[in-house]
Amino acid sequence: MSSATSSWLASAVAVFAKDWRCELRSRYALHAIALFAVTTLVVASSSLGPLGADKSQAVTVLPALLWLILLFAAAAGLPRAFVHEEEAHTSAALRLAAPPSALFAGKLAYGASLLLGLEALIAPLYLALMSLDVPSPGLFAATLLAGGYGLAAGSSLIAALASQARGRSTLFSVLAFPVLLPLLLLAIELTRNAVAGQPAGVALPQLLLYDASVTVAGLMLFPFVWNP
Amino acid sequence: MQSVSMSFTGLTRRFGRVRALSSATAEVAGGGVLVVTGSNGAGKSTLLRCLAGLLAPDSGRIEHVEDGRALPPEERRLRIGWVAPDLAFYDELTTLENLTFFAKLRGLPPRRGVELLERVGLPADRDAGALSSGMRQRLRWAWALLHRPRALLLDEPFQNLDSEGEATARALVAEHLAAGGLAVIASPVPLEVDGVVCHLELAR
Repeated sequence: MSSATSSWLASAVAVFAKDWRCELRSRYALHAIALFAVTTLVVASSSLGPLGADKSQAVTVLPALLWLILLFAAAAGLPRAFVHEEEAHTSAALRLAAPPSALFAGKLAYGASLLLGLEALIAPLYLALMSLDVPSPGLFAATLLAGGYGLAAGSSLIAALASQARGRSTLFSVLAFPVLLPLLLLAIELTRNAVAGQPAGVALPQLLLYDASVTVAGLMLFPFVWNP
Repeated sequence: MQSVSMSFTGLTRRFGRVRALSSATAEVAGGGVLVVTGSNGAGKSTLLRCLAGLLAPDSGRIEHVEDGRALPPEERRLRIGWVAPDLAFYDELTTLENLTFFAKLRGLPPRRGVELLERVGLPADRDAGALSSGMRQRLRWAWALLHRPRALLLDEPFQNLDSEGEATARALVAEHLAAGGLAVIASPVPLEVDGVVCHLELAR
């Protein structure tokens, strides 16, 4: 590994570790995400759970509901990684010390780990509360991994763009629709296949391609957005 | 320390209809200080932000040369040392954790942060969020010198410092200049600084 690559990697790891350290001390995003996820999970399970939805409806409706819960939980916490840097005026120090692409990679790793951790907590709980059987657990796990990463990557890219604007929250919502819609459609389709015991089909390669595209787009676009 | 120089010509920057900086021109070489003065709103901070690469000027040219090579903006941004009132750190981290984080970003050993905290007289284990305004200013100084920059951009660098803190900061500037570095200092009031000093008065 060249010294430039190892230095880039060390910067990204430093940003990732710093974000987690700050988060574990303030617990802002953790609380926001967990509170939203658990509340919606309880509301959904009490109205559409084993007592509210029949088997045929469950396969159609419940995968979509799971991804809606994950989407809004992510929206409640992930944008903060970038927005907080602007609001706390720490962005200038970062601009003067970190290569932009390494900063984006560190923030993306933080967002992805946060969301995958949330999925590890929410998904088993969701399946249990909804009494939802998963005949293809491997496909279900792969969908959660690829979909969760894509959701974090898409949200990080949008948050990075929106953090530089004045109407940050409005811009995040406006940009999130076109960027995250393909991901959600693919993730829901794959989750339905896992729940119905069907093969992944072309949706899984498409989801992986989406993940790769958003990651590359973020790494390439972020320096132009971040620096004047 | 190798040679360093900074010059700028016709720098202009507008914010909407307000012209914050108008045709600023000056130059400073290693061992020298450029003192930029002017009333509030004259564009001192805007000038320094442009020189740091934190703001793109609408027109004009900036040349930062180190070892005979003109640095592109993205490299200039990572090379300069910057002290300014709006420079903030992570409240959840201690002073040492803040400096260690930025040292890691710059590929420096964490020991450098310890040295600088001792030099500016700050406790290593105090949360940045619990620092007084004078202590925050000392932390800004430590942060700015972390990577041993050859060009220091100092916006009201002695603000909020007590007499001991100001003496330390002035000693740091003197050492920096003696080692061949340059400094651009913005101040709303005339400032006495040792060394080869040029002045630039900005008008509103």
